[in-house]
Amino acid sequence: MANQQQQQVQDRLQVKREVRKIKNLPTVPGIVAKISRMVENPETSAAEVGRLISQDQVLSAKVLRMANSAFFGMSRKISSISQALVILGFEVVKGLVLTSSVFDMIQKSMAGLWEHSIGCAAASGAVATLLGRDDAEEILVAGLLHDLGKVVLALNLPEEMRLIMAKVSSGDVLFYEAENQLLDFDHSELGQWLAEHWNLPESLAEPMRLHHRPEKAVLKPECTAIVHIADIIIRAKGFGNAGDMLVPPISMAAWEMLGLRKTDFLPILETLEPKLASLCDITSIS
Amino acid sequence: MKRIPIDKAVPGQVLAEKLTRHDGVLLAGQGAEITEGLLRMLVRLNIDTVVIEEDESRTTQEVMDDFQKKVDDLEARFVRVAESPVLMALKKTMLYMAQRERDETLALMEKPPAVVEAHEEVPGAAGTEA
Repeated sequence: MANQQQQQVQDRLQVKREVRKIKNLPTVPGIVAKISRMVENPETSAAEVGRLISQDQVLSAKVLRMANSAFFGMSRKISSISQALVILGFEVVKGLVLTSSVFDMIQKSMAGLWEHSIGCAAASGAVATLLGRDDAEEILVAGLLHDLGKVVLALNLPEEMRLIMAKVSSGDVLFYEAENQLLDFDHSELGQWLAEHWNLPESLAEPMRLHHRPEKAVLKPECTAIVHIADIIIRAKGFGNAGDMLVPPISMAAWEMLGLRKTDFLPILETLEPKLASLCDITSIS
Repeated sequence: MKRIPIDKAVPGQVLAEKLTRHDGVLLAGQGAEITEGLLRMLVRLNIDTVVIEEDESRTTQEVMDDFQKKVDDLEARFVRVAESPVLMALKKTMLYMAQRERDETLALMEKPPAVVEAHEEVPGAAGTEA
C-alpha cells in the first residue's frame, strides 16, 4: 500500500515536470484567423468571406456537409458557403470552419471524442431549441468544441494521458477528476489557454473553460449552462467517449438558471435520438 | 431499420432508405436489394454506411437481451449520481424510452411476447414534480 502511494506521488511529480513541455499550442488554423480579421471589418460582405472559404475545396465540402447535416435540420439544401453564411451567420460558419480544421486533430487524439463532440453539439442544439433560444446554432457550435482541451492534452502529453486513462479505467473516477489528481489542472484550463491563444469568442471560450463549473460563468452563463447539461445528457446516452463512461454531477445553479424541468428531458431526448442516428454520416468526413 | 458500416453490409439485405452519393445523386432507391456490384460501387465512392431493413429473424429473446443490456449500461453510468433527483429523472426518462422501444419492436414482431411489463410513468408527468 505504502509503495503504491509512493508510486502515485512519484507519478505526480513526474507529470508536473512534463507539463512545462506544453510550450507550443497548436497554431490557429490560418483560414480561421483570416476570417476573424475579415469579419472585424464592417466593410466585409458575406460574398467575400464565402469566396475566401470556397478557395479551399476540401474545407468547403466539410463545412457544407455539416451545414446540411441533421444538426441544423434545414428543409432546403445549402449549396454554397455564401448561402451558409446568410442562413447560419458568420459566427456559426466560422465555428464550422474551425471544427473542420481541427477535425483530424480531434479524431487522432482520443477514440470516441469526435462522436462525443458531435453528440454534445446535437444535445446543446436540442436544449437550446427547447428553451426557444434564437442563438441555438451558436450554442451548438460551443457544444462541438467544448472538449478541445482534451485534444491539447492528448497531443502534447501522451504519457500523462496514458496515466489518466489508466486511473479512469481502474475505478469510478471521472476524467477531469483523474486529471486534477495527477496534473493539478484539467482539460478545461487547457481549453481556456487554447481559446485565448486562438482568440476565440467568449461564446466558445467560456463553455470550453467552465462546462464542468457553469455556475462560475459570467459572460455567457446560459450558453455555458446549456453545454454543461448537454454534456451530461450525451454521456447518459453513452454516445461516443469523453474518456470515462460516467454521468458527472449536475450544477443545480445552471439547471435552475435555465428554468428547465424534469419533464423537459423527454422532448429533448426525442429530438436528439433521430439526429444522433443520422449524424453517424458526418463522423466519416475525412 | 438500422444503419450499418459498409463492411457489415452483405448482398441480399434491403435498403430502408434511398442511397445517394455525397453530392446528392441517387444511387439506389429505398427497398432496393444490395448486390455485389452496388457494394463495389459504394466502396469506390467512399460511402461508409447504409441503412438497411432490420433483420426480421431477431428473436423475442434477443430483443429482451438488448433491452436488459441497455438497462445495465444505464445503471453503470448513473452510479455516481444516485443522490441527484434531476439526474434520476433523466435516468428514468431514458429507461422509459428504452421500454417503449422494446415494446414497439415486440409489437412489430408478430408473435406476442410472453412478458411485456407496463410502461413506467414518465417522471413528473403528473405535474407534481419540479
